[in-house]
Amino acid sequence: MDNSAPDSLPRSETAVTYESPYPLYAMSFSSSSSTTHRIAVGSFLEDYNNRIDILSFDPDSMSVKPLPSLSFDHPYPPTKLMFSPPSLRRDLLASSGDFLRLWEITDSPSSEPLSVLNNSKTSEFCAPLTSFDWNDVEPKRLGTCSIDTTCTIWDVERSVVETQLIAHDKEVHDIAWGEARVFASVSADGSVRIFDLRDKEHSTIIYESPQPDTPLLRLAWNKQDLRYMATILMDSNKVVILDIRSPTMPVAELERHQGSVNAIGWAPQSCKHICSGGDDAQALIWELPTVAGPNGIDPMSVYSAGSEINQLQWSSSLPDWIGIAFANKMQLLRV
Amino acid sequence: MQVTNSKNLAIQFVSSLILHKIMDEETMVMGQNITSVPENLKKQLAVSIRSIQWSYAIFWSVSASQPGVLEWGEGYYNGDIKTRKTIQASEIKADQLGLRRSEQLRELFESLSIAESSSTGTAVGSQVTRRASAAALSPEDLADTEWYYLVCMSFVFKIGEGMPGRTFANDEPIWLCNAGTADSKVFGRSLLAKSASVNTVICFPFLGGVVEIGTTEHIAEDMNVIQCVKKSFLEAPASHATISQQRSDYHIDNVLDPQHILGDEIYAPMFGNRPFQATSPSRTTNGFDPEHDQLAEDHDSFMAEGINSQVQSWQHMDDELSNCVHQSLNSSDCVSQTFAEAGARRVSCGARKGRVQRLGHFQEQHKNVKMLSFDPRNDDVHYQSVISTIFKTSHQLILGPQFRNCDKRSSFTRWKKPSSSSSFGTASVVPPSQGMLKKIIFEVPRVHQKEKLMLDSPGVGDETANHAVLEKKRREKLNERFLILRSIIPSINKSDKVSILDDTIGYLQELEKRVQELESCRESTDTETRGTTTMKRKKPYDAGERTSANCTNNEIGYGKRTHVGQAEPTETSLTDNLRISPFGNEVVIEMRCVWREGVLLEIMDVISNLNLDSHSVQSSTGDGLLCLTVSCKHKGSKIATPGMIKEALKKVAWIC
Repeated sequence: MDNSAPDSLPRSETAVTYESPYPLYAMSFSSSSSTTHRIAVGSFLEDYNNRIDILSFDPDSMSVKPLPSLSFDHPYPPTKLMFSPPSLRRDLLASSGDFLRLWEITDSPSSEPLSVLNNSKTSEFCAPLTSFDWNDVEPKRLGTCSIDTTCTIWDVERSVVETQLIAHDKEVHDIAWGEARVFASVSADGSVRIFDLRDKEHSTIIYESPQPDTPLLRLAWNKQDLRYMATILMDSNKVVILDIRSPTMPVAELERHQGSVNAIGWAPQSCKHICSGGDDAQALIWELPTVAGPNGIDPMSVYSAGSEINQLQWSSSLPDWIGIAFANKMQLLRV
Repeated sequence: MQVTNSKNLAIQFVSSLILHKIMDEETMVMGQNITSVPENLKKQLAVSIRSIQWSYAIFWSVSASQPGVLEWGEGYYNGDIKTRKTIQASEIKADQLGLRRSEQLRELFESLSIAESSSTGTAVGSQVTRRASAAALSPEDLADTEWYYLVCMSFVFKIGEGMPGRTFANDEPIWLCNAGTADSKVFGRSLLAKSASVNTVICFPFLGGVVEIGTTEHIAEDMNVIQCVKKSFLEAPASHATISQQRSDYHIDNVLDPQHILGDEIYAPMFGNRPFQATSPSRTTNGFDPEHDQLAEDHDSFMAEGINSQVQSWQHMDDELSNCVHQSLNSSDCVSQTFAEAGARRVSCGARKGRVQRLGHFQEQHKNVKMLSFDPRNDDVHYQSVISTIFKTSHQLILGPQFRNCDKRSSFTRWKKPSSSSSFGTASVVPPSQGMLKKIIFEVPRVHQKEKLMLDSPGVGDETANHAVLEKKRREKLNERFLILRSIIPSINKSDKVSILDDTIGYLQELEKRVQELESCRESTDTETRGTTTMKRKKPYDAGERTSANCTNNEIGYGKRTHVGQAEPTETSLTDNLRISPFGNEVVIEMRCVWREGVLLEIMDVISNLNLDSHSVQSSTGDGLLCLTVSCKHKGSKIATPGMIKEALKKVAWIC
């Protein structure tokens, strides 16, 4: 847990590193407008006992330090962590795993679980969650997706299920809100579908992976320009950019990673930039042009990390910084 | 945005004046090669530029520090001002305004360069500006033309290169119209000019250096202008009347008396209205103001339009920029678009948080630039630095890919195409692709599921327990039915389910065939021939042969029948319609009766009601008769006697 800069990088002095005792996967930036920025990182231990650590980041002094009093245990690795959106006044952290859990981050005496949201009607069995997304526009709405092919929309204020939809034919891997009542999800069946809560019977497939049944692993919706979404396929080095107005045909396929892509994140302040991180240990920032060149789109800039980048977060609370996680390190890169 | 109050302002003023004085001295020191720079050069520039009402004037002097290079000597800015925030309501003297503004701009430039040289790279942001010097202006406050002027301060020209350089070398004036669209080889700052709407730029050798004047309007080439300027330099202020008018709204009265400018250095706030008076020199400045205001307004509206059109052109240029992204770094077009975009964007977006003044940084670059030959690539480097300066203050990403190398603070470097052909898939190390991601998505949820199941299995969970019981029942039912099937089908030997089903299939097929044949036989033979065929426990094809043989025989003979096969008495005998043969626990029932629909079923029912488990049934129908042989076993405790069986069967089969 030191602030040592990574080695063998020319720009090492500009990246801020946190070294954790265990491998990290889940990561989230707090959105509160408080002066200190908080980062929650979830461990990845193939074990029951996992931990969520809360770090405090100071961009001016370029330092990150853990706040042990706020950290807490979590059963099994959290598959995703997310702080509540700024429109929700409170500072809550949600984690997904076996259930959806909400935590209140306080240090008096320690962070406590606020609620455990279980949508199963029979005893204890609830399909485990692969991911979730908190709606920015409607902050009491949170959507989860699960391996039982369903997506569940929660009202987290009242801790009840708003609705549950069978979203796909196979396990749903990721979900992203576009606006208050519209979300999109990706699944092992290889499709990206958009759902509108006003019309739950119908969904629109806006993309299907070219090799049938190639699972799509992650989805990111561009909050600055809702036309565009990005998704990544299993075992692929491509980031597929989709325009929701023209279904089935991707707008661009960004193919410059030398390994499979693991994480994507749109820029919070610009509508044309996206960052991706992959198994080639590179984080690439891309600028999407209006017209692509004949050889495809080249990235704008690159950062080489120490090992495969598993997670990437580009938060609107810190638009000049990109957080990446690789091995047991979390790094903040200045854009 | 800084909040200035009058006290601060005064302090700033004094400091700026001191700076100004220092700079003046510097100026004097610098220009010593041919002629010394006149001490009141600034005022003279002011006078001259105001007389012709152009936007700015710059004196490029031969550099003292570097031989063969022209650099910024002095300047006066007379163009549009974006903000009046540093202007008190009373300080409306246009000449003072202009001078002050020029000073402020120079001060800003200095502060930016100081900021850079003193910054340790840690604390960034607007604190640096505040720390370095209390500059009255900050970059947000500048109009485009002011920016142009400011940026010009950073330029140097080798003698013979660039517009001022060529002017100096050739000793000939150069007049450039439409500076914004000029080729950058002709006019290196064409893009800057474009964003600042500077249209006409003139350079002429003068006073041992080069005087450059520019304006936002399009002025046709006219040597009179140059003469005008020269005269205003050398002549006494009083002889302004001799300067020819270039513009219709030129007022002699409003020309400044340099002495006044000199004298009024410490300002006392002056209140009052702005009467338009055109008489005494001491009041000329007042008189000028409404006009200046009006001019300024015109300029402002022009600027606004300029801004709008620039914003629009930015939109357009944005698209072009994207194309540019893929062009080579040496393309100055690319740069121009970037910069123009930059300028417009900066103006239209207003203040942004955390601006960092990095002007000095590019000064550093700029120093490097001085040593290089002044070719287009150099221009690009210079623009690169200018842009990076400007854009450090606003938006990192808009900087564009070409210019990121300047950005030492970013963690990212410019992406280059990998030289080796290490494409995806040919990586030397092959760890599991997307290892952790896949585990998170695929394995971790299943771990949870397994957990759940493990929790449930110790018999406590209702569902699983129910499941087991139901499953067992189902299995039992299935087995039962398999047994029944086995009993019905004659050819079943084995007791495993697969064989039972196989045999059943075979049997059914056989039966179907036989039925077809029999039906066809029956049609052909009339009801008179009575033939029975007995199906034995033989292979299907045998039965088939027999059947056909019998059929044929029936056709031929009447009452004659040949019977091939096992000996079972098949002759009709009226007395022998029903025979019960008990063998220990087994009973063999042989009977013959009139066939009617469903009779076989009824007979089987009766047999089972008698607690007899029939395991072998042979039946044949022909000529409306049913011949039946049933082998059954007593089951249960209640044993039916042959008599009982007979009775029951007689009843059901109408055997008399």
